[in-house]
Amino acid sequence: MTGALSGRRVLLVEDEMLVAWLLQDMLADLGCAVVGPAARVNQALAIIAAEQVDLAVLDINLNGQTSYAIADALTARGVPFVFSTGYAKDRLAEDYRAFPVLQKPFHESELGRALETLLEPEPSSVGSRRECAAEAPH
Amino acid sequence: MSAITMKSADQKDAESNVESFRKELGPFVAATEMTSMAMVFTDARDSDNPIIFANDSFLALTGYRREELLGKSFSFLMTRGAGPDALAKVEAALKGSSECSLEVRCRRKDGEMFWAAAYIYLVRDEAGGVVQRFASFVDLTDQKREEDRLRFLLDELNHRTQNTLATVQAIAVQTLRGVVAREVVDAFQARILALSKAHGLLGRTNWDAVSLRDTLDQALQPFGLNDKWDARFTVQGDDVRLQPKTALTLAMMFHELATNATEYGALSESGEGRIDIAWQVEPTPQGGRMRLRWEESGGPLVEPPRRKGFGSRLIEGGLAQELDGEVRIDYPPDGVVCHVVMPVTAPVGE
Repeated sequence: MTGALSGRRVLLVEDEMLVAWLLQDMLADLGCAVVGPAARVNQALAIIAAEQVDLAVLDINLNGQTSYAIADALTARGVPFVFSTGYAKDRLAEDYRAFPVLQKPFHESELGRALETLLEPEPSSVGSRRECAAEAPH
Repeated sequence: MSAITMKSADQKDAESNVESFRKELGPFVAATEMTSMAMVFTDARDSDNPIIFANDSFLALTGYRREELLGKSFSFLMTRGAGPDALAKVEAALKGSSECSLEVRCRRKDGEMFWAAAYIYLVRDEAGGVVQRFASFVDLTDQKREEDRLRFLLDELNHRTQNTLATVQAIAVQTLRGVVAREVVDAFQARILALSKAHGLLGRTNWDAVSLRDTLDQALQPFGLNDKWDARFTVQGDDVRLQPKTALTLAMMFHELATNATEYGALSESGEGRIDIAWQVEPTPQGGRMRLRWEESGGPLVEPPRRKGFGSRLIEGGLAQELDGEVRIDYPPDGVVCHVVMPVTAPVGE
């Protein structure tokens, strides 16, 4: 649907089955190719090691485990991602607060905007880009 | 005498001080010694504020033995390792010539940190000079722990509410997609999201009072409010604090009005339409009364709806009841006008 997102391989990490289905449909509507969904940290790490991923949407609480290890693996590979969570931003561990967050529940258009922002070329400061993406979910 | 049992001059002074209290104040000293509130007296004539008396509760709170305390500097003892902030606070309180209370993080002898509310009073002699300081303490450790636990529970509850709304959204979309028109799915989804965003706003303020401006911003942002390329909204009025339930109700109302404006009213054709939102609070014997007006103009010619949809039912029926006020929607040809009259508590900042 949207040019910039069309054909992008998006890793989806979400442990709530119904929500995972919804997000899969949203990503498909946006023209993305869904990788996953992964519901566990190990699953996601295995996918990242084995497959090509352009972008990622990460739920934070995966059945009691946080997805920060996945965030680290994505950062190490230079794959931009957005957290998708029902938690307020200040509940994120301090090291991860600079990453963009989509507050659940959100609309397809908010997801699209957040992902497009991830693809924008890095402006002078990383902080401002992340701030901008973080403001997207309104 | 060995060095271990030798008493310092300070300590001897302190002990003789207590002896003199005991003679003069008999029953009061006994009461102070036995009360469950931790208390110390310091000698205000010495710049170090050495401790000259500490009751049993203070010993229990801090874990020190009495002989370890007497003659020691009070501020050093209380803030050992507790950070320069606490030390500065205590120093300032002790130097001050007035009485004060403060919350400080202190350290027990065994190194454990604890929170205490400290109340510092001045004891004056007959000439009015400050001769002693008297400090009493309430251990706040349990209270702080309880506050943290409540904060955690509230965060969890907010998180679960949002996740549940996300699940409701997912179920609705999976159930309805392909069965009903796309607009129906979108309208349902938009209402769930409006409710969720209002909940999110309340969660961020700990379900305390919320500002009307924030509520408006949150509800109307998806429709272009505060968008720098979109000047179709004006908002005028001094900010007002809303009760959580009122904020939720108004957020849903703004969502319905804006949705209606997008479909039929001022936001339906890109261009000339605009929405002016303004309110005033007037004092009445029963408290503040707010009059809020949502006025559309410049959109297509308005015709009153033939049938009341969910939006107008919600606004005129449900909301009037929930807001304990009056809500009316008019459909003049120039644009929809919605009037709300409702009680409010206080303007923001009061």
